[in-house]
Amino acid sequence: MKPSVLRCSHVTKRYGDFTALEDLSLEVYEGEIFALLGPNGAGKSTLIHCITGVSKQSEGTIEVLGFDTLRDFRTTRRLVGLVPQEINYDPFFTPMENLMINMGLMGVEPDRERAEDLLRTFALEDKRDAYTRTLSGGMKRRLLIAKALVHQPRLLFLDEPTAGVDVELRRELWQEVEDLRAAGTTIVLTTHYIEEAERLADRIGVIHNGELLLVEGRESLLERHDGRSLEDIFVELIRRADGRHAA
Amino acid sequence: MNRVALKTLFIKEIRRFAKVWMQTVLSPLVTTSLYFLVFGVALGSRLKEISGVPYIQFVVPGLVMMTMVRDSFLNTSSSLFQSKINGTITDLLVAPIGASEILLSYVGAAMCRAVITGSLVLVVALFFTWFPLHSVGWAIFFTLFVPATFGLLGIVSALWAEKFDHLAIFPNFVLLPLAFLGGVFYSIDLLPEPWNAISRLNPLLYMVNGLRFGFLGVADVSPVASAVVVLISFMVMLSVAGIMLQRGYKLRT
Repeated sequence: MKPSVLRCSHVTKRYGDFTALEDLSLEVYEGEIFALLGPNGAGKSTLIHCITGVSKQSEGTIEVLGFDTLRDFRTTRRLVGLVPQEINYDPFFTPMENLMINMGLMGVEPDRERAEDLLRTFALEDKRDAYTRTLSGGMKRRLLIAKALVHQPRLLFLDEPTAGVDVELRRELWQEVEDLRAAGTTIVLTTHYIEEAERLADRIGVIHNGELLLVEGRESLLERHDGRSLEDIFVELIRRADGRHAA
Repeated sequence: MNRVALKTLFIKEIRRFAKVWMQTVLSPLVTTSLYFLVFGVALGSRLKEISGVPYIQFVVPGLVMMTMVRDSFLNTSSSLFQSKINGTITDLLVAPIGASEILLSYVGAAMCRAVITGSLVLVVALFFTWFPLHSVGWAIFFTLFVPATFGLLGIVSALWAEKFDHLAIFPNFVLLPLAFLGGVFYSIDLLPEPWNAISRLNPLLYMVNGLRFGFLGVADVSPVASAVVVLISFMVMLSVAGIMLQRGYKLRT
């Protein structure tokens, strides 16, 4: 088995009386694409936020390559990249400036050549000096991915990267994710699209009401369920969990 | 300390206000020029002298201070609050930086903007009157520490604010009245009791008079008392802003 890149141990996150994550433990291994599936409000983004530093877990520990995300945050954040779910952009700066700024923020000396490479990779070179607000939705999303890669993270989180994007762009993004994995980046991706997980993931985790219901390799999961689709398996898991809660 | 991130954030903040220079630099200059015209030229011709100096000269340090206080506050508060609203605050939250890099870069940039606009106000003032520079040391002290204090206050306000209305509370309902009642346009020696005593509770009074002493050598309160008030205010704001950022107040939910 490949070495562990991410280890979450008994992670709980509470917002007042509401428990968003409940005693969640999970390991992600080097070089894999791990897809985290779950309905809205399941806790997918909360888990990613706790790992990347956007939020803090209430209990439990999270380690990235053996470093604690709270105690050694300066180290873990250099190892991790985040593509957030919501498109965000700084209206004051161009794509080129945004990439240069993000490099500096991540502790890497701003490197124009690296920024040019990223703009080329994500087909944004024509927009390098445009105001970011003038970019299309797809371009903004690609810029978000480029921003998350400026420091060449070992572990990349894609929080619903294809939400609300058209089929063509979705396929482009899938290709980019596969290219990144081929280049050695470990990827954790959250998605609503079962098809996306089916196509990209090596292993799949299903989360619901803050609990991890299942973690299994994609192939063994499909084999074990006698050729049933991943969508059927997912729906059954969620129903079973809801039934358990209702009981 | 992540020096690369610190330098990047500082330059980014400078470029942010430079990109909208009409709003951040030119606009305060126009406002202050109008103050000079109304208070300095129109009223000044009737008031003649105050604290032994010509009235138009008397208002110069106060107007410089008022500009620096407002601009340093607005620089940090608007930048940080906009990041919260447009979601780019995530870039800061996931970066390998702590409270110290954020404080130093944001406050450093706010001080730069304040010094630039304050200097331009002085240049405008030269069109209306000359003025001495009594004590370079005191002038520099108040020019650095007061904008730093209000830059920190801007960070505190931006962290606390949840909507644009919240952000407008301080400049409109606190800063402006305190500045006008802080001796920018008059000496508190002209006020009867209890207003004179009440005025001495206003920290802006010490900041305005500190800079006035640096330039003109006259002040309602001693420069040492002013320096003590400024340093205490600075330390309080530094502690509050530092703790809020360290704890991720309203940031790391």
